[in-house]
Amino acid sequence: MSRDFWKAFARNRGAVVGLAILALVVLAAVFANLIYPQSPWDMAAMPFQPPLSDDALLGSDTLGRDIAAGIVHGARVSLLIGLSSTAVALLIGVTLGAIAGYHGGVVDDAIMRFTELFQTIPNFVLAVVLVAIFTPSIANITIAIAVVSWPPLARLARGEFMALRSREFVQAAITTGQGTGTIILRQILPNSLSPIIVSASLTVATAILLESSLSFLGLGDPNVMSWGYMIGAARTVIRQAWWMSFFPGIAILLTVLALNLVGEGLNDALNPKLARKGRA
Amino acid sequence: MAAIASFLGRRLIKSVFILFAIVVINFMLVRAAPGDPAMVMAGEAGAADQQYVEQLREQFGLNRPIHEQLGIYLADVATGDLGYSYRQQRPVWDLIGERLPPTLVLTGFAFVLALTAGVLLGTLAAMRAGTWSDSAITVLALLSYATPIYWVGLMLILLFSVQLGWLPAFGYETVGGGYEGWDRVTDIGAHLILPVVTLGLFYMAVYARLTRASILEVRDMDFVKTARAKGLTEARIVFRHVLRNAILPVITFAGIQAGHLIGGSILIETVFAWPGIGRLAFDAVLQRDYQVLLGIFFVTSVMVIVFNIVTDLVYSLVDPRIEVA
Amino acid sequence: MSNRLANLKRLATSGIVASGLLAALAGPGLAQEQVQKGGTLSVIVQPEPPILVLGLNQQGPTQTVAGKIYEGLLRYDHDLQPMPGLAESWDVSADGLSYGFKLRRNAQWHDGTPFTAKDVVFSATKFLPEVHPRARANFSHVESVEAPDDYTVVFKLKQPFPAFIKAFEVSTAPIMPAHIYEGTDYKQNPKNATPIGTGPFKFDKWVKGSNIHLVRNDKYYLEGKPYLDDIYFRVIPDAASRALALETGEVDISQYNDVEPFDVQRLKALPHLTMTTKGYEFVAPLSWIELNTREAPLNDKRFRQALMYGLDRQFIRDRIWFGLGRVATGPVNSVTPNYEADVAKYAYDPDKAKALLDEMGLKPGSGGTRAEITLTPMPYGETWARAAEYIKQSWSKIGVKVNLASTDVAGWVQKVSNWDYQATNNFVYQYGDPSLGVARTYTTENIRKGVMFSNTMGYSNPELDALFAKAAVENDPAKRAGQLGQAQKILVDDVPVIWLLEMEFPTFVNKRVHNAVTTAIGTSENFADVWVEKKK
Repeated sequence: MSRDFWKAFARNRGAVVGLAILALVVLAAVFANLIYPQSPWDMAAMPFQPPLSDDALLGSDTLGRDIAAGIVHGARVSLLIGLSSTAVALLIGVTLGAIAGYHGGVVDDAIMRFTELFQTIPNFVLAVVLVAIFTPSIANITIAIAVVSWPPLARLARGEFMALRSREFVQAAITTGQGTGTIILRQILPNSLSPIIVSASLTVATAILLESSLSFLGLGDPNVMSWGYMIGAARTVIRQAWWMSFFPGIAILLTVLALNLVGEGLNDALNPKLARKGRA
Repeated sequence: MAAIASFLGRRLIKSVFILFAIVVINFMLVRAAPGDPAMVMAGEAGAADQQYVEQLREQFGLNRPIHEQLGIYLADVATGDLGYSYRQQRPVWDLIGERLPPTLVLTGFAFVLALTAGVLLGTLAAMRAGTWSDSAITVLALLSYATPIYWVGLMLILLFSVQLGWLPAFGYETVGGGYEGWDRVTDIGAHLILPVVTLGLFYMAVYARLTRASILEVRDMDFVKTARAKGLTEARIVFRHVLRNAILPVITFAGIQAGHLIGGSILIETVFAWPGIGRLAFDAVLQRDYQVLLGIFFVTSVMVIVFNIVTDLVYSLVDPRIEVA
Repeated sequence: MSNRLANLKRLATSGIVASGLLAALAGPGLAQEQVQKGGTLSVIVQPEPPILVLGLNQQGPTQTVAGKIYEGLLRYDHDLQPMPGLAESWDVSADGLSYGFKLRRNAQWHDGTPFTAKDVVFSATKFLPEVHPRARANFSHVESVEAPDDYTVVFKLKQPFPAFIKAFEVSTAPIMPAHIYEGTDYKQNPKNATPIGTGPFKFDKWVKGSNIHLVRNDKYYLEGKPYLDDIYFRVIPDAASRALALETGEVDISQYNDVEPFDVQRLKALPHLTMTTKGYEFVAPLSWIELNTREAPLNDKRFRQALMYGLDRQFIRDRIWFGLGRVATGPVNSVTPNYEADVAKYAYDPDKAKALLDEMGLKPGSGGTRAEITLTPMPYGETWARAAEYIKQSWSKIGVKVNLASTDVAGWVQKVSNWDYQATNNFVYQYGDPSLGVARTYTTENIRKGVMFSNTMGYSNPELDALFAKAAVENDPAKRAGQLGQAQKILVDDVPVIWLLEMEFPTFVNKRVHNAVTTAIGTSENFADVWVEKKK
């Protein structure tokens, strides 16, 4: 499995590039304190230094904080919020989707109506309202993003579970008297994992974009340096100092791009029959 | 025909329940926020005393118990009354009526642009799968998809308004320009270009990828092979057979996205100072203008529901095999 | 042709200089010779005002627009000396107990109803005390308001209140039309949607989310004025867009925070714009970091002093406000009367700060942290956020760890007014007199839960209370100055708040606009004297 997986994954050149970029981002996040030991909030340079100046590789911001340091430290927050909100969204979405798909009938109907409810409210508006109401902090932003991200995952999981529910091995498990929980977790979930993983990788990408959009509107956590915050804080000076919003923008772009590429690679590797199918 | 009527009937009943739930959930959600509109106005006034805040609360009806307020609100909504904006002292319907058209114009054009360009590019890429033009389109789509939408807006302003001076950077029309008739249309049109392109680009990317994937999937199906065996031209095959089937997931997705387009316009409206409903919603959150926010939630939800019903109907038209159900 | 034009231009410029100089003395006058009549002015208004009835709402943006529609009895020059408004002349009795006003005889409301003393009495005794908190406080000193005839009004005070002369500015006491509001529920009056005032401009149209249009009042009581045909107030939510609008000439005037501080230098350098920081003398804003002095360690004077020493306020002025404003020396803005310069000074000195903390027994723990406090930044835009970030970094250097707790306006007001905070930044207007705009945030009697801009820090000092109480009713200017000076010395030693800056706001004016800023309320003035050169 694993060797085939890598083979199939590596056949998609974009995916390999994506994985490489992603690895760099993860390394930056992990070793941020080694690369830039000082706090990214420190006014390390003269304000408004353009890129390639002596004291700031990618320039400095309006208060003289190093953009490069901000990007390296910001990788942490973007990844943290991207991953944790996706984890929460998966927990909600897959759980609800699994129950709905497995049980069908009234349960399914109820859960799907509930899901529809969340899909009916424009999701970015809802995220903005949630963060504004519960005040911006990492935890609240994560939850808000998760709350608006789970419905597609729930629908996906439901579809998978519905399809697998009637398969022989599940029926066999039912007749041998295995408990519902066991069947869901042991039998169906492992077999429905591939599309969910692919979808999750894209959810991470969307979550990172969402976080940056919230920060752009001034709804970021003020205690942590994040890319979205950097663009939000620099957007008003974009004409004097393009680099302040340009580089964080590129950082977001590359990370989101990498996640998408990896997602496609995963899709190729995990769903060979449906190779190169886009997201829906 | 009867099938359609009963389909609509069932969907409408379902919609009413969803709307009811949305109103109640949002009402509770909005009230969970710290502070109230009276406090915002006191805070902004720069000077206030207890009497001032209490007068405002009484005026807004915020001194009643919360369940009573919910009851009043539900009763009002049922009769089509969305209440009153505390801050702007005007009926919510008026505000939405003023702010909705610019947003609809913006999102409408963006939607059409995204859909046409997306489907075209996706089809092109799929027909030339594996060639450089496919790669180019795929990369373009990926890039547009991965770029923060507000950032694109800023960069476009930087290029087309600041550097080149070709297009106005913000606003809905030239205020005080006194344009009438056709001049006014072209004036609004010029203001529309940048925001529409910014908003459309992102969704174009989504549709292009979907279309491409969907076509590639349909292309190898039996009925296409049959068509090909019959010796039909490739273009005819693509448009008559492949696209018609491949478009289904695109339509589904478009139906869902229509609502999100409104949400995405918050960012666009901020960047381009577009006097639309997204910005109204954002301000309403910050100002705790409860009724305005609830009204916007209500109206956009109705729109999404209507859109989904229309999508399902279109679905059945495009693919007669699918019956409305 | 071109020669004549050049001459005209030179004449015009010299006229502006002269009128600028004279404006302080005699109000705008000289520039009239080159006045061009007609034309449209475009002004930024941000955020969009909730309502234009100035008596019901006095937020900054409301003042900007409604200041052209409504008028007060008096106006004030840059030195806060009164000038005629709806009152042609006035006199104050020697005992400080009687204020008499002679009103304009030919003024009328926009609907044609004549303006009379009845309107003033109605406003001062009924309308304003009911709905306007500042007016309510000012007029609480009044024993009676009488109108011996249609064009005379006399205010009798219960006791001397020297600050009373500052109570007739247009946003402090806008005169409201009695014939429209008398006997009605003021806030629900249907006419609120179409405000009726006496000012030089009339309300025409409001396109919500976009612009407000005012047109010339042809029946204004000053002959030949106003000069402008109409004014558009444009709502532009995005700061970058606002700057761009000034640059392209799409709007002519910006005020307050319309232009972000970092953009000021760049816009200032543009040939078609002028920048002034004048016109904010009446509000004289002072920014500070408010501390909840009920809580340890903030209840210790030494801790607060340490915070003061631990902050490089010059840096805040230079780098965060980009040179706008002056480092504050104490609770009174230096443009406000009775400012006291001779007070204790707190220059940036981290070592002194640490020494004070050591003295309190707050030794550095793990990571050098001596104490931890939460700062709830004021949610009023980018610059305040930058300031909070800088404050956090600075205080961490003296061992005070700061956690930032972000919130929006509603949440902020809720927290601060209910004392549910440790530190927050804020700025407060002084309204032309320490008794009006300074005492309110420091006196014990004004510790009122749930009320914003009261003494929310819970600071209490009986000696100070007594001084402010005496000064409020002291009719002898010299004695009063002594009392207020002493009060300032006490406050500066006690540091109930960390004063940051005497704030200056940049007002940008397109050079084609003349007489935009001539009084202490700057662009909130009625603009009767403003004229524009024809657009080329």
